[in-house]
Formats: sequence, C-alpha cells, structure tokens
Amino acid sequence: MDLADRADIAPPTPEEPPPVRRHPSEPMPRWPSGWQGPTYYGRAQLKAAPFENGVVGGYIFFAGLSGASALLSTIASTASPRASAALERRARWLTLLAPVLGAPLLIYDLHTPKRFYNMLRVAKGTSPMSIGTWILSAFSASAFLASGAGWWGDRRPNRRGWRRLSTLARWSSALAGAGLSTYTAALLSATSTPLWAAAPRSLAARFGASSMATGAASLALGQRGRTRRNLDAITAAALAAELTATLVSHHRYSRSGIAGAFQTPWGRLEEGGATALGLVAPLAMYGATLARGGRSPLPALATLAGSLLFRISIMGVGDVSARDPELSFRFAQPDNLPGAHSPSRASG
Amino acid sequence: MEMHPRVREQTRSEFDTLIPDESELTANVRIEPGRAYGFFTDTTVCIGCKACEVACKEWNNLPADNIGLTGESYDNTGALSANTWRHVSFIEKPVLRHDLQQPFQSGWLMMSDVCKHCHNAPCLEACPTGAIFKTEFDTVVVQQDICNGCGYCVPACPFGVVDVSKVDGKAHKCTLCYDRLKGGLEPACAKSCPTDSIQFGELHKLQARAQERVAELHALGVANAYLYGTPGAAGATGDLQYLNAFFLLTDRPETYNLPAAPTRPANRVAPALTSGLATVAGLAVAALALFARRW
Repeated sequence: MDLADRADIAPPTPEEPPPVRRHPSEPMPRWPSGWQGPTYYGRAQLKAAPFENGVVGGYIFFAGLSGASALLSTIASTASPRASAALERRARWLTLLAPVLGAPLLIYDLHTPKRFYNMLRVAKGTSPMSIGTWILSAFSASAFLASGAGWWGDRRPNRRGWRRLSTLARWSSALAGAGLSTYTAALLSATSTPLWAAAPRSLAARFGASSMATGAASLALGQRGRTRRNLDAITAAALAAELTATLVSHHRYSRSGIAGAFQTPWGRLEEGGATALGLVAPLAMYGATLARGGRSPLPALATLAGSLLFRISIMGVGDVSARDPELSFRFAQPDNLPGAHSPSRASG
Repeated sequence: MEMHPRVREQTRSEFDTLIPDESELTANVRIEPGRAYGFFTDTTVCIGCKACEVACKEWNNLPADNIGLTGESYDNTGALSANTWRHVSFIEKPVLRHDLQQPFQSGWLMMSDVCKHCHNAPCLEACPTGAIFKTEFDTVVVQQDICNGCGYCVPACPFGVVDVSKVDGKAHKCTLCYDRLKGGLEPACAKSCPTDSIQFGELHKLQARAQERVAELHALGVANAYLYGTPGAAGATGDLQYLNAFFLLTDRPETYNLPAAPTRPANRVAPALTSGLATVAGLAVAALALFARRW
C-alpha cells in the first residue's frame, strides 16, 4: 500500500525539497543552492587562529610602520638629499622598530618560543609566514646596517665610506620594507578564516596603504616646512587609497555573505574605531589643512592610532568569522569558489 | 571484503610476537612506502559506538578533553582537537511523525570525523618550520620535535582539524597512525571499527570501492548517497584536488559540520602579495614625484 494514499498517516510536506535524483555522470547530488542551516549544534566548523590579537596586530603595525618609513626616507633622500638629512636620521630609529619591537612580539606569540629559530629551517613560497620570516630577517639586517653605518658616519671625520655603506643598506631595507609592509595581508588571506580569505586583493591594498600612511605620518611628526607638507600629502594619499580599498573589501564581504561578522564588538571597533576615527577623520583633517600647511600633530597621531586599531580589530573580526558556523558555511559555498559566476546572494 | 589467504595460517589465539604485515590479515592490504593510503568512512553503516575514538586515544596515549555531558545527542566529544583525533558526530534529524521513520538510518546520522589528509594540505603548505610533512604513505604528519607552536596551521585548515595543545604548545592532529603503518599495522581506528564504517587501504582501491558502494546504495533507493572528498566531488573543491580520508554521506556536508566547498589557501598568496606591493609601489612613485619636484 502506498503511504501517500492514506491521508491519516501521510507525512507532511518536508520544508526542504528532497535532493534531485541524479544522473550517474553527476559527481554529487544537487542540493538547493545556498545554505539555510541548521549548524551542528551551533559548534564552530573552523578553528580560529590561536594568535593573541593585540600582540600579532601590534607586530603587523610596527612592521608596516618600519617598512614604509625605510622606503619613504630612502625615496626622499634620493630625490632631494640636502632637504632630507633630518628625515634620514629620524628614519634610522623608526626602521629599528620592526626588528627591536616587532620580532620579539612574534616570538612571544609562539606557543613554544624557545624553538623560534626553527622558522629559519625552510623557505616556502606557499607559506606567507615563511616568506615573512625571510623578509623580516633581510629587513632587520639591512636596517641595523643602514642605521649603524649612518650613525657612525655622522661622527667620523672621514665619512664617505660609511655613508656609501649606509646608502647601500638603506636601499636594501627599502626594498625589504615594501615587502614587510604588505606580506602580513597575504599571511591572513592564505588561511581558511572566512573574513581574511574573502578579499585577498583589497585586504592587501588596505594593509599596504595603511603601512605607507603610518610610515609617512611618523616621519612627519616634528618635521617642518616643505618636507612636512610632502609627508602630509603622502599620508593623505595613502589614507584615500586605504579608504577606497576598505569600501571594496566591505562590498566583497557582503557579496560573500559574511558581512554579519561586523555586527559584533570587534566589527564595530573595525568600522567605528579604525575606519571612522582612524581613517576618515584624519583624512578630513588633512583635506582641511593641506592647502594652508597645518602644524597640528593631531591627524598624524590619529592615523597611527587608526592603523594600530585596524590591524588588531581585523584579527578579531577574522576570529569571529571562524567561530561562527553560519558565517563559515555561508562562505564555503560553491558560489564563492574562485571562478564561480554568480556570487552568493545570501544576506548577512 | 574478501579475506587474505594468510588468515588461515594464524590459528593461535595468543601472540607473543607481531605478525609480519598484519594489515594484510586485518584490512587485506600490504603497507609499502611510496604508495598512497587513506581512510574511506562509510557513514551509512556507522553505529556510533565510538570504538574508533577509544582505540585512537589508547594507541596514541591521548588524554580526555571533556568528561561531562554536552546534551548534544550522544556526542559528548564535541569536536576534533589536539587530544581528539577521531570524533563521532550524531545528527538526529527531525522525525516526520513519531511512529514513522525513513529507511536506512536516514533519520539518525552518525559520522566518524578525522583529519582529511588533503592532497594539497593547507596546514602543510602554511607550516613555516617544515614540521608538517607528507610521509612515504602520502599522509600528513606534524613532527613534534620541530613544531614551535606558531599556530598558523590552525586557521589554514579548511576543516577545523589541527589544533595547538595548551599543555605542550605544539600542533597536533591525526597521524593516520604513522608509527603503526611503519610496523605493517592497520591504523587503530579502522582496525577497531566493528561495522567497517572506517576502511583503511590503498587510496585508489578505496575510491573504487566507495564508488561501488554509492552505486549499490542508489540501487537500494538511497538516492542522496554521495562521496565527499574524492576527485571532483564536494570537499575536494578549490584546488584541494582530493582528500586521502574521504566520506560517504547522505545529507548536505554542513549537516555533518563539513564545508561544502573548501578552498586551497595557498592560492591566495600571489594575489595578496601582488596587490599589496602594487599599492605600495604606486604610493612610492607618488612620493618620489613629490620629493623630486622643484616648486
């Protein structure tokens, strides 16, 4: 007897249509597109990175600041050597922040810190952490050499040899500095954490621009005259680029269905703190004062604070997206695969 | 599964020595370096006994994670972790009517989850120390004497498997019983599985066996049976290619806490690096123009 014929025991219509009976050539059943739930008892599908957000976010900030200040000071002293002597001396100290403060932060964040040197066992193109280890090593060596030779050369009567060595090392630190200020975005993107993986290109553009903004802002603090105006203009340009990349990345988060991660304390810190107060506000201040040549250190300080907040809060929002199975499942849909044509319309 | 002729030679019930190539007797497979091995977990015959969890804990000397009750069906283990390398999940699907169940256990799903030993393993690709490596059996193992606990493999894993232990500060996960394979023994979980839900064997033979099982289930009317983690199937998306530990499922992957379409994280390194460097280069050129101008 067919069950469907008996109204008294006929099963009610299931909410989800049963999967379509498939042709043998199809590799898997066609489930209804998109994912509506349920999760596995609300348990996380992914594991969040076991990083301390303040420590790793702090490292990313110092790495970006040091790398960009090495790059910018080298460019300035190449383009106008006479006007940039003070800038160069300031950059000597700023470039040492990554090796002196940043590297210990990284080692502190290891769960077996006494084995930190195992990072130097291999060089691996698939691991941005390995790439970063070698960039940081090259940057540290050249920054110490550039700063040391420059500082010593200033105090020697026969300074030409020392200055030549310092210039050579400075170019090396400038190139490594470009890598140091951006590889951290690749480090976050090359994970399965939805929020970091969703927008690799725009996240890297944000990191690069934010690093350049902090490099220029920290060099500008205490500077006067034309150099100050140039650095302020560079900071403003970097902030504008960062704002553009921020808008692009948030658009991508919405399209991938993971924008819900921003409706959390970490997300509000990223949007209200890092972006509104640390990016839009200093950009407006620069816009208002650039023509007249402002003297206030406020926009530069806001830029620095905003960048630090951005690096820490993006770590936190990433953790949120990894711990929330709804966000993880919505992100890991065939629609979000690279090369997929129709992006997920799921809200969130 | 047919039995190996060598089984007839073993008439003793107590052993004082190891049987050479014991896996031939227990899993009908000889373990040789240079070949690819894996697990085929057929969830349609899993009875949720958790013998695999116990065998894994015993062989690998792993402590308990949770000794309380979770209230989540019979799953008091919760998730894979640094100390839990096999995890049986229990899914009680809504019953249409209290006296009417769907056939073939489809109202109650059980699955023994494990590290997938991915072909393009994201944890291995992320590991900056080379502690995670591919063994001669095509499995993925963390070398405990090298891992420095950076934790980068944890967010790299698309399946939430690998975990850093708070006790020793190193990353841990299923080794597919690397030590047992070296000694010619079938992995502990597969050997202990009473229904052969967990099958150990050579990967291409397991994949063929799994295809046959799916066809058999389809013939029985289980239309929604499918493979997760074989080449071209769900779970092997985004350039992961295939998973050495793969599954036969009968509901959406998410039901079992598995991602439908995971990706290979290492493919995002180049886009991120080029975009970041291009941004910095653009701003550097602007800076050069500003500092070099004569007005």
